[in-house]
Amino acid sequence: MPDQSESPIIEIQDLAVSFPVPDAAGRGRRFNAVQRVSLSVYPAQTLAVVGESGSGKSVSAMSILQLIPTPPGKYESGQILWRDADEPASSGVSTDPDAHTDLLKLNDKQMRKIRGNQIAMIFQEPMTSLNPVYTVGEQITEAVLLHQKVNRAQANRIAEDALEDVGIADPASRLKEYPHQLSGGMRQRIMIAMALACQPRLLLADEPTTALDVTIQAQILELLRTLQNQKQMAVLLITHDLGVVAENADTVAVMYAGRILEYASVYDVFQRPMHPYTRGLLKSMPMLGKEADRLPTVMDGATIPDDFPAGYTVRPHTLDPNPPGGYGGPDARLYQVEPNHWVLCEPAPGNTTAKFTPPRLDFRRDAAAVV
Amino acid sequence: MSSAVVKQADLSAGLAKPRRGWVAEVILRTVRDVGAVIGLAWIAVVGLCAVFAPLLANTFPYLVKTSDGRLISPMLMHLKPSDVILLVLAAVAVALFVLLRRWSTRLRLWLFALIAVATVSLSFLFVSPPQSVVYKEYRLMQARDEVAWAVYPPIPFSPSDRLRDITSVVHPTPPTWSIGEQDPTRLTGMTHWMGTERTGSDILSKMIHACRVAMAIGFIATGIGLFIGILIGGVMGYFSGIVDLLGMRLVEIFEAIPVLFLLLTFVAFFERSIYMMMVILGVTGWTGYARFIRAEFLRLRGQDFIQAARACGLPLTSILFKHMLPNGVTPVLIAASFGVASAILYESTLSFLGLGLVDEPSWGQLLEQATGAGGGFYWWLATFPGMAIFLTVFAYNLVGEALRDAIDPHTQKTSN
Repeated sequence: MPDQSESPIIEIQDLAVSFPVPDAAGRGRRFNAVQRVSLSVYPAQTLAVVGESGSGKSVSAMSILQLIPTPPGKYESGQILWRDADEPASSGVSTDPDAHTDLLKLNDKQMRKIRGNQIAMIFQEPMTSLNPVYTVGEQITEAVLLHQKVNRAQANRIAEDALEDVGIADPASRLKEYPHQLSGGMRQRIMIAMALACQPRLLLADEPTTALDVTIQAQILELLRTLQNQKQMAVLLITHDLGVVAENADTVAVMYAGRILEYASVYDVFQRPMHPYTRGLLKSMPMLGKEADRLPTVMDGATIPDDFPAGYTVRPHTLDPNPPGGYGGPDARLYQVEPNHWVLCEPAPGNTTAKFTPPRLDFRRDAAAVV
Repeated sequence: MSSAVVKQADLSAGLAKPRRGWVAEVILRTVRDVGAVIGLAWIAVVGLCAVFAPLLANTFPYLVKTSDGRLISPMLMHLKPSDVILLVLAAVAVALFVLLRRWSTRLRLWLFALIAVATVSLSFLFVSPPQSVVYKEYRLMQARDEVAWAVYPPIPFSPSDRLRDITSVVHPTPPTWSIGEQDPTRLTGMTHWMGTERTGSDILSKMIHACRVAMAIGFIATGIGLFIGILIGGVMGYFSGIVDLLGMRLVEIFEAIPVLFLLLTFVAFFERSIYMMMVILGVTGWTGYARFIRAEFLRLRGQDFIQAARACGLPLTSILFKHMLPNGVTPVLIAASFGVASAILYESTLSFLGLGLVDEPSWGQLLEQATGAGGGFYWWLATFPGMAIFLTVFAYNLVGEALRDAIDPHTQKTSN
């Protein structure tokens, strides 16, 4: 394992969030939108969460900031451990459990100190994520004034710097503009500037480029990477675009039916996918230079690898996300089947050494390139 | 590459849209509407009359030079605290919001609030008009030749000045211009543009002073309704669920209250007071606003920028009233402009039924006198106050319609 001394900045453990569903009988039934979700992100690391619509990506991310409306939603179980902000990220050995805060246990007032300040979020739709009745400057400075002990002029300066950071020319006059006067790419830059103005340590990016055209997408992702390196910020990138994952992620978590199916470094996931669903997903991607009348579906490619580690059994992918016994089998958990690879599977009968370990992977692609 | 994109966006943004907020845009569009301009002009006239009533119609001259050489201003001496407050605040408002536009809005609002509080408290402490007002005082002085010269307001009658000292005609009398020189009802040397009413007071003077009641009841009753409605509607819309369910039942309960009968009951049991009327109209009138705000907030709470505001860590009050309210307030403003009109109508109705205010002149009170006890019909007492009520209600409706058109994107397309 790489450097075990450093601990993840955020760690989700066994999270389950449920929502009520209208039942044929009438009432009482709740459905787990995510269950047994465990994740971790290290400082300056990008974790990409990939999955279909409704696989629980956004619910997981929104749970971190307690943005799920309760009711109707409910946090059924789990912890979201946040490494205290006062502790420098690179302070070395620190596995002291007191250094953690469980974000799910915080009340609204405590949560507001985390939101926007230590953990920021950017949304999918830049066209609607800015308040149309206020100027860009008013919206950025409001967040800055809320979290930092600065006066209005200083907040303005911070907002200008933030706009300059995201590559907007003439920030002083841009701050006086209303959202409707800006293009989509500009607005997403502003959203990023707003999120980063308070120097958060974790950025939740919920499909930040989906609504943008491809050239702007590339610019925005490039910008996010640059800023991440500058500020040593952790990024949780939610996307369903495998190209974005391949280019930006350090680690990848594949989600389906509210569960994490596979968690590994970006290289491992793309080169040695182990879960049938991941394999099917990657097979169904169109390849440049390979002609095909019909692309294979996820089902077509969802095969179980021959060299699946002994001691574990993985069940075939089913189109029904909620088969009897649950997806992946009744005992399925995210097991560490190889040193740096976690897969949703069941321990084979007789495997007594199978031990559940929290998925932690302190991997960064730049560091790997050097080593 | 990125800078090229930025520059292009710069150009298109600069050319396509002027740097103007949405609120300014709506105001501009409203003002382009002819009906709205007429409506606003009339409301402005009524507003000016309300503020400057004691300067426009007053028995007491602005300035008097007595024959023994003293220079006095009886009008100033007789100003009531409420007159002083209105005049000072109007002057401060003009100064702050028209002349000193360079200052930040926040600063100006704070200054205005501060000056308002100071003016109100100082006026009630230090402005003390004579307890018993003798309207004939200066007329008698003039008759006795004790006055060298005097400057009178355009309408030299106070609303309660019954002119007992100079006329013994049976009132009401028609407007001066409508009767012949030899008419026995003609008052000696006095011009009453709209005639006099039963007690002998000048109607035009009463009409001008009645603007105050009309403006006050309209705005304050609607203001109370808006405050309650926005608060309850906002909470219902944002929290939805059980809060919404209970809130809507409360709305239905209040909608079932017959306002006119409630007003009549209160008038019968308690003293007649304009404040009581305002509170009753406000407390029963909030339901419509609450419905509008609730619907808007239900729509807005799912919007991305509200999610973004929550993710920024903004407190609930800021999300509700700073981010959601400005986005959802427009339909309520339209409703409020109609609400002002209906509050004025309620007051007129009460006065017309003879259950209105006693001390203060009001349009409905004049209207009530149009049919005399003897069965006569005095057309001037029906026409002028009736026109004033009609025009004011019509003006608010015109403004409301124009606001609705300015906000609704569908009508905007057809007009372009």
